[in-house]
Amino acid sequence: MLQFLLSGVAIGAVYGLIGMALAISFYVTRVINFAQGQIMMIAMMLTATAASAGLPPLVAVFLGLLGAVLIAVLSYYVAVKPILAVNRLGFGWLVSTLGFAVIVENAAALLWGPTSRPFPQMLNGISLHLGQAVLTGQQLLSILVAVILAGLFEAVRRYTLFGKLGVAIAADPEMASAVGANTSLVAVVAFAISGLFAGIAGILIGPNTFANPYLGHTYGIFGFIAMMIGGGTEKPVAAMFGGILLGVLAEGANTLIDSQASDWFPFVVLVIILIVSPRGLFSGGGGWDALRRRLMPAVRDAA
Amino acid sequence: MSEKLHAMSAAPGLTLSRLRAPRLGLCLLLLAYLLGSWTVARSGLDVQSLVLVAAIFGILAISLDLVAGMLGLYSLGQGGFFGIGAYLTAIAVNDLGASPFLLLPVVLVVSGAAGILIGAMSLRVSGLYFAITTFIFTLVLTVLATDLQITGGTQGLLGPSFPDLPEMLSFLGAPVAWCILLALLLIVALIWSLRRSPLYPVLLAIRDAEPFAEAAGVRTAALKIGVFGISAAMAGLAGWLFSFMGVVSPGQFDWSVSLNILVMLLVGGINTTLGPLLGAAFVSMFPAIVNINPWLQEIIYGALSICAITFFPAGVVGLILRRLQGARSAAHVESEAAPGTAAPPRVARDGAEIAIECRAVDFGYAVGPRVLRKVDLSVRRGHIHGLIGPNGSGKSTLANVIAGRLHPSSGEILMNGRSVHGVSPSGRARLGMRRTFQAAQLVRELSAGQNVSVGLHTQIPHLFRRAPVWPFLPSARADIASLNHRSAEALRAVDAGAWVDRHIADVPHGIEQLTQLAAVCVAAPDIIILDEPATGLSRREVDHLAEILSALKAEGVTMIIIEHQTRFLLPLCDQVTVLNAGEVIVTATADEVRAHPVVRQVYLGEQ
Repeated sequence: MLQFLLSGVAIGAVYGLIGMALAISFYVTRVINFAQGQIMMIAMMLTATAASAGLPPLVAVFLGLLGAVLIAVLSYYVAVKPILAVNRLGFGWLVSTLGFAVIVENAAALLWGPTSRPFPQMLNGISLHLGQAVLTGQQLLSILVAVILAGLFEAVRRYTLFGKLGVAIAADPEMASAVGANTSLVAVVAFAISGLFAGIAGILIGPNTFANPYLGHTYGIFGFIAMMIGGGTEKPVAAMFGGILLGVLAEGANTLIDSQASDWFPFVVLVIILIVSPRGLFSGGGGWDALRRRLMPAVRDAA
Repeated sequence: MSEKLHAMSAAPGLTLSRLRAPRLGLCLLLLAYLLGSWTVARSGLDVQSLVLVAAIFGILAISLDLVAGMLGLYSLGQGGFFGIGAYLTAIAVNDLGASPFLLLPVVLVVSGAAGILIGAMSLRVSGLYFAITTFIFTLVLTVLATDLQITGGTQGLLGPSFPDLPEMLSFLGAPVAWCILLALLLIVALIWSLRRSPLYPVLLAIRDAEPFAEAAGVRTAALKIGVFGISAAMAGLAGWLFSFMGVVSPGQFDWSVSLNILVMLLVGGINTTLGPLLGAAFVSMFPAIVNINPWLQEIIYGALSICAITFFPAGVVGLILRRLQGARSAAHVESEAAPGTAAPPRVARDGAEIAIECRAVDFGYAVGPRVLRKVDLSVRRGHIHGLIGPNGSGKSTLANVIAGRLHPSSGEILMNGRSVHGVSPSGRARLGMRRTFQAAQLVRELSAGQNVSVGLHTQIPHLFRRAPVWPFLPSARADIASLNHRSAEALRAVDAGAWVDRHIADVPHGIEQLTQLAAVCVAAPDIIILDEPATGLSRREVDHLAEILSALKAEGVTMIIIEHQTRFLLPLCDQVTVLNAGEVIVTATADEVRAHPVVRQVYLGEQ
């Protein structure tokens, strides 16, 4: 019980980071970047390559993250900005970000070959015993990093001028630019942050999955589910809660149902959650919040 | 300026002349298509499968165009419906030994029902969330297909083989080729007809100006769900056809397939007849034509789709059409005197003396102060009732509450003495209440005449049943003629007759207002709500508007008019209600209102 809870939270933290990466870029541009998983993959491939070339792990990680940030910013300039310039409310970005994902994935396969490469083991060798459960150092690191990043992001969003700028642009880009906000700069920064989050997610799971050009596809989808369950389309940090819930559910399904159950169980949960609350659970105004308000009328008055 | 416009004669016959398009050319095209099909059916397997897969994707792209192009619903569920059709056929034929032809109706019903279910579920969330919901639907189906026993996991199933033709018909070639190509022809004909039917402006109105469509009596929700169901059934048909092409496996229906269908549509040209076909041919044949390193090929594909969507957002066909239209709009279409049937006589409802009554209507949003407080209003039959008040006093909100777009938090609205609680805006429109909007809501890519015709769609008998075969119906001619005639007449009556064939995107603001008014009047309603009808009109046009409204009043129409230009409004009104901060200050005749001290203070600005 404790075991699947802990390892569920650990893997869920990674899903949550990818979900937040998707949500942060969505927040400012109203675009779902289908290349998010591939951006994560680039960080892993670069780190793996740099490490096998003999660079110290920290330098390799830095290079990987830098690559992810650059690709994310590139995706904005190639696949998002020109499309939104034509029609801000259209759906052309569905095609362009997918096209970008296809390019990145196949370029990686062309460059590195389609096989898996070894990844630095980092903290995977350390195991911590908590009662009957065992947690690797890498898992603990995932949880810590995810919590810190989510907290930091929320603090920046709420309390700094730049964060408020993001909120303003999310609410009404035309109005925000009318009062002098540089919407394009904020969008670039948002994509850079989303690239960083996705890259960090990649570094955290790398020791377990190794580096493979086709990893982006699966993890991109899991990040997407995390965002949708949590309600990250309204509030990026909600994607982290969604990710953790997803991780625990998937690990729980594997332990309690059968070893294949994590393939389909999260999808069933996703469908149920979206039927009950289309805007996700933790977005505020949606399911969880409505339930809380119904149960505790005092909260409503306080707000 | 207006004089010059009058010199140009109105031309209601554009749609009509298109209807008389040379039948010969159409027959030749059909013959060429059949000859082409024959060639494909007799050609080698590799060519055959290339063309047939492209044709199946053509059907899928058209099915997406039906919802994305005409209704603005970007479905990522087409891959899912496609999969339902293919798996259903493969499983039923392999395991139950069912006949493929008997299965076809089952496939259409099941995939169509799935579409209706998804549509009904995701209707409460619109736009992006519709795309996401349908995306998740496809995701879940792929996962199920991969993990279930009955679908054969990642390996998939072997599809059934298509029944052979009898011996004497064997010269026709492969029957499966005929089946697929004829199905494509049927679907193309269906959509082509739909585009020429009066339903088309109605669908575009739902896409671009939903409030306008609702106010014209269109049951937007039902229509969206229904059309999405038909689109899903088409995708199911494509799946049925695809199952005869060999193996049916999860990878052929996953979410990237749904997105690829969207790529086909956007590259070829959304909301065009040929665009989806071109796009499907390009995308599905691309790997076979560019036969290089598979990774490099994918990279080129990705780059091409980004370039296409960036540089030709309207698609290839859209681009060509725009060029052609530019050339054609210079040539003026001659006016055709259509023998229109007269408008049906206005239904004289003698029952209630009070046409509209609001009883203690309260309205407020989730946050902020209440917008309407205990508003009582009664509008007598045949009266013009003015509604004035400073900005933010709740006039438009009250109009929206009466028209059914907003639901009062308490209080009651009565129409002709009966409560209309829970009746939708379109339901109220069908009861004879039409309205205009403060900011004109119209379809920019349609002509003024077509926009007006949306207001008439309830009066075309069996429109939904007839739309898919519209140009082939003899009765359609008379209907189109009368529709065009009445739309043109309505525009002429509001002094905008010269703009009949102009696209709304190209007309000045005042003409948009008048088009809205024409779309309302054409349906001969007995209650009209006008929200700032004089905005953007010239002095002369305002005078004319006053004449039109007086004429309507003489016919016994009841009107509620919101307007800031009191010089125009007050002389028309039998009664005037003044709102301030959501409360009724006074309801009285125009003269009494002018003299009322509080009104002079809050509205006319006197101290």
